[in-house]
Amino acid sequence: MTPELMIDACNLRHAYSHGAMVEPVLHGINLRIRRGEFVVIMGPSGCGKTTLLNLLGLMMLPTQADRLEIAGVDTRSLSDAARTRLRREAIGFVFQRFNLLPTISAYRNVVLPLHLRGIQPDGQAAELIRRTGLQELAHKKPAQLSMGQQQRFAIARALVGRPSLLLADEPTGNLDSANAEAVLSLLREFHRDWGQTIVMITHNEHLTVAADRVLRMCDGRIIDGA
Amino acid sequence: MLRLAWANLMHRKLRTTLSVLAVGIGIALLLVSKGLANGSIAEVNQRMQSVDAQLVVLPAQENILFTNGAPFPGVFERLLARQADEHGPLATAVIPVFFAQVRMGGQQQRVFGVDPRQMSLFLGSRRVLEGRAFDQAFSMAEKTAELRRPTTQIVEAESLPPEILEAGLELIIDDRLRRVGEFDAASGTNRPYRIGDEIRIMSRGFRIVGVVETGVAGRVFAPIQTLREILNGGEPWSTMFFVKLRPDLDPVAAADRFQSVLGQQARVELKTEYGKLLHESFAQVNMYMTASSGLALVVCFLFILLTMYTMVLERTREIGILKALGMTRLSLLSLSISEALVVSSSGALIGIGLAYGARYVLNVLRPLLTVELPLSLLAVALGLAVIGGGLSALYPGYRAARLEPAVALTCE
Repeated sequence: MTPELMIDACNLRHAYSHGAMVEPVLHGINLRIRRGEFVVIMGPSGCGKTTLLNLLGLMMLPTQADRLEIAGVDTRSLSDAARTRLRREAIGFVFQRFNLLPTISAYRNVVLPLHLRGIQPDGQAAELIRRTGLQELAHKKPAQLSMGQQQRFAIARALVGRPSLLLADEPTGNLDSANAEAVLSLLREFHRDWGQTIVMITHNEHLTVAADRVLRMCDGRIIDGA
Repeated sequence: MLRLAWANLMHRKLRTTLSVLAVGIGIALLLVSKGLANGSIAEVNQRMQSVDAQLVVLPAQENILFTNGAPFPGVFERLLARQADEHGPLATAVIPVFFAQVRMGGQQQRVFGVDPRQMSLFLGSRRVLEGRAFDQAFSMAEKTAELRRPTTQIVEAESLPPEILEAGLELIIDDRLRRVGEFDAASGTNRPYRIGDEIRIMSRGFRIVGVVETGVAGRVFAPIQTLREILNGGEPWSTMFFVKLRPDLDPVAAADRFQSVLGQQARVELKTEYGKLLHESFAQVNMYMTASSGLALVVCFLFILLTMYTMVLERTREIGILKALGMTRLSLLSLSISEALVVSSSGALIGIGLAYGARYVLNVLRPLLTVELPLSLLAVALGLAVIGGGLSALYPGYRAARLEPAVALTCE
């Protein structure tokens, strides 16, 4: 893998098992993404976009892969603990449903990745929240926030540990157009300032304007942009 | 970690409260039953130790708790007495006791039938607070000794002249029983006993003639001659004996000597061993009580396990989030255990509070019961709660730790 590659996947295959029934979802994905690249993945529902993102985020193991390197690490032989460590230190997630923990405040959600790394939150976390423009709401629980506000806190949480790879699964899917624009602006802003690699799934063609590259998937294959 | 555990518990306040209460009730049950058993044994033992004697002669049965009636015929007293006069080889006093059950102070009481002339051996340093330590019973004792000499003639039961028996219808009670008193229907409350009160027991009217400091061997004393006349046709049988040894004797050797004199029908023990004997006699009851409360505690911990397991099922998505953010399996297991420990240790503290509350209530409703809650027992309860809570969380924690983040995140 060349040093400038953040993701290098070759012949990535995945199938879900439902008892005796096996449902193939990804059929030999070949994908290379450079460090600092902003890539958007598009495709119809059920084409395997989220599965691909979960595999890239080490959230599950592929059924088969000739190569799957993330941030220069060959992930195929990693133990669960090593995959967890790599995920904690190198990867940030933004989900369609925000996935903030409902039991703690928005601020505690944002600084949670730091606590998991054993780092005490410093001014940078507060600065990140300030840049989302929601510092006055940081003490509130997620249920007390609008969906747009929750997603902005979720982005702050994904970025607080300065991961080199940010994976976003339809981050604007549950938002109205104004909030979707705000979230996209935020992503672009952080991408410009910090230069993270971003891989974002979306159905929204308008959001592709921010991307360096657009991958199109269909039936478990990348059909364009690889 | 603890902050997150606390937040999770506070997010489901009702369930957390119920779990804490479940543990609390289990712990309280354990503490009160053990405290009651230990308290009763300790109190009886302490009372027995107050008698100015070194040996106890008990019937040769396994369980001394249920020693009642008169298993020792008069020959035992005579055998013992031969060893026991001022110039006797072993003892300076043999103290026969005759137990009877009566109802006083709202519950069953064991009456210590003792010879009024030996009452000082039971009082020791404890004072007579009111009245006297027997009054006319002394003369009754003297007259009975005359009338009840061993004879070959058959005498009728209760053939003692009524005026002599009348003199022996006296009771001495301890201060704790005096304060509890008897329910007074007129006022609707308990009225403390007073000197001169007539108590109807054993179909006779006994007078309270003295109140002694709490801590003496019995809560109620009556002349042994009276009890023998009423319950045993005047036959000089006894329930047990205390033996006061000559000061220069080794108690263990003396006990062996007495044992050889009395044979297999009696067991001679050091008075200091009485507590151990009580514990041995109480062992089966104690085991039953411990098993019952232990079972209740196990049910409580199963309740925690169920709670934690339900929480894992409910929070599958949250667990997925934590795993996606990089929380390790060990940390997830620790989180689950931390939550269970917060629940179980809070439950233990509540249980200790409940146990103290129960002790207070028992003290009001049944003032003669003693519930002992020593620090060691509280520490054991706390330890059990912590260990039980931790174990209860292991399986749910393991389930949480094993979840694949991508799968967990798809859960609703």
